[in-house]
Amino acid sequence: MIRAVRSELFKLRTSPGPWVVLLAVLAFSALGIVVTFLVASGQHHVRFVAPHTTYRLRRLMGAGFVAGGVWMGAIVGVLSVTGEYRHKLMTESLLVEPRRWKLLIAKAIATALWGLFYGAASLLLGGAMGIPLLVTKGGSLSALFDQAGAVLPGFFAGFALLALFGAGLGALIKNQIAAVVSILAITFIIEPVIDGIVPEAGKWLPFAASASLAGGLVRPAEHTELLALWLAAIVLAAWALVPIVLGYFVTLRRDVT
Amino acid sequence: MVVDLALSSRAVVPSSKRADAVPIEVRGLNKRFGAVQAVADLDFTVAPGRITGFLGPNGAGKTTTLRILLGLVAASSGTALIGGQRYRDIVDPLRRVGALLEATSFHPARRARDHLRMCALGAHIEVARVDEVLELVGLADSARRRVGGFSLGMRQRLGLAAALLGDPPVLILDEPANGLDPQGIAWLRQFLRYLAVQGHTVLVSSHLLAEMAQTVDDVVIIAGGRVRASGPLSELAGRAHSAMRVRTPEADRLQGLLHAAHWPFRRLSADLVLVEGVTPEQLGPLLARSQIVTYELANESTDLESVFLSLTGPDVDPTGGGLRGGAPR
Repeated sequence: MIRAVRSELFKLRTSPGPWVVLLAVLAFSALGIVVTFLVASGQHHVRFVAPHTTYRLRRLMGAGFVAGGVWMGAIVGVLSVTGEYRHKLMTESLLVEPRRWKLLIAKAIATALWGLFYGAASLLLGGAMGIPLLVTKGGSLSALFDQAGAVLPGFFAGFALLALFGAGLGALIKNQIAAVVSILAITFIIEPVIDGIVPEAGKWLPFAASASLAGGLVRPAEHTELLALWLAAIVLAAWALVPIVLGYFVTLRRDVT
Repeated sequence: MVVDLALSSRAVVPSSKRADAVPIEVRGLNKRFGAVQAVADLDFTVAPGRITGFLGPNGAGKTTTLRILLGLVAASSGTALIGGQRYRDIVDPLRRVGALLEATSFHPARRARDHLRMCALGAHIEVARVDEVLELVGLADSARRRVGGFSLGMRQRLGLAAALLGDPPVLILDEPANGLDPQGIAWLRQFLRYLAVQGHTVLVSSHLLAEMAQTVDDVVIIAGGRVRASGPLSELAGRAHSAMRVRTPEADRLQGLLHAAHWPFRRLSADLVLVEGVTPEQLGPLLARSQIVTYELANESTDLESVFLSLTGPDVDPTGGGLRGGAPR
């Protein structure tokens, strides 16, 4: 299995898609950091100030997450699976590893590892960009670091599991463009709309569930209650695993012609 | 591109006969895609140490059969085993079976060498072997180029390199000569012969019999998903027969003579007669003895190609002919 995972990691590393996704993750992370410092002041003014509430400090730490970078990371899962169909690579992959469930698990692990890599890259950028900004604006570094325990486990879990969600979506949809568009639609339209209209339902969606796990990055805790940590973990795991298991039974077991 | 066979100087394939060579056995194989019966009751065996040509027109079911053998397509019924095992049950399959299926299954942005490294990583094969097979197929100079810029022939070579990566005793190649230049085809022919001599089991599909006639020992001919003939190529060649075309102003008289001699013939036109199943050595003396004025005496022998066409034509009796009994062990 280790071999199969190494082969999958090598595949991702030697194709351009995951690197383009990295750029997207970093771009969204950078945007998230800048936004955290912006505070509306009066009707038409925006001030650039250091975050100091717990909620805003957490948002700074999880900036790559909040701004949607975590969803960009999910695209790597889509590419990992749909690339096999798009470039007819499934044949070669299955010749190397004919046990399909094994190939799929290797893919899932490699994808989740890339998700973690994106999370780390996003966090590093956050450090390189957010810390100097915070210090210049007179914010407290120790207050920021105090939030690490609440934010980071969920932050990384979100990056890894949403990448898996992407892989599952790819296995179900197969068409690369359709699957990428679906991810973008979920990120920018479906989740925000549902969350806006019915917050009670919205909190069960994958992004909100991962945010619950990461210290409530998407809403101030006083406004809407999010899922309890354990529940958020179960919900997120379900979002990550159900599509990939369905994808296995619906498409991956089919004939490869 | 210079193709170097490079076999004598490099220990690419073990020099002694392979002890691990195994046969390929297809028994009662059926595959249905919806209403289409792609493969029907297929039975054949591919022996080690011989090159077996898997022949048939486009759409005959060759690729489907090979894909079933390789576990990519599930059979509706029947078995397709390599050394008594299903492909998916083989441990380290790349080391047991090398397969070339289509020249398009590469990521265009990936470098040739990386494509092979990817396979090697998954199959636990050392990276040194990657460079070895790249050299073997004549791609060493293009190893770091992206596959997207490769010609069809180069892709075919890369696919072949992937098939050879694990130095497997069994090779399954689907239309390997596609896109190769004449030197490449000649090289492939020599190379396959070399592998067979070493004891490898080699199954090569093609829709071109003329090209295969120079390469293979045994043939399995299929059409419409059924085996039409299988056996040593020499037996198939025995089906080819000779015919002589005679142009003469005395065609009527010749016709009478042929009748009397019980030689089958066809009158092609006023002055043309086709005499079937005879050689020039038989027909020439008859013409001389009977003093028939002859303007032209030409050999109209049917070749392997026409035997192949007659076997695979749409109106052929699917039960096939006498060759069937002589299956390639």
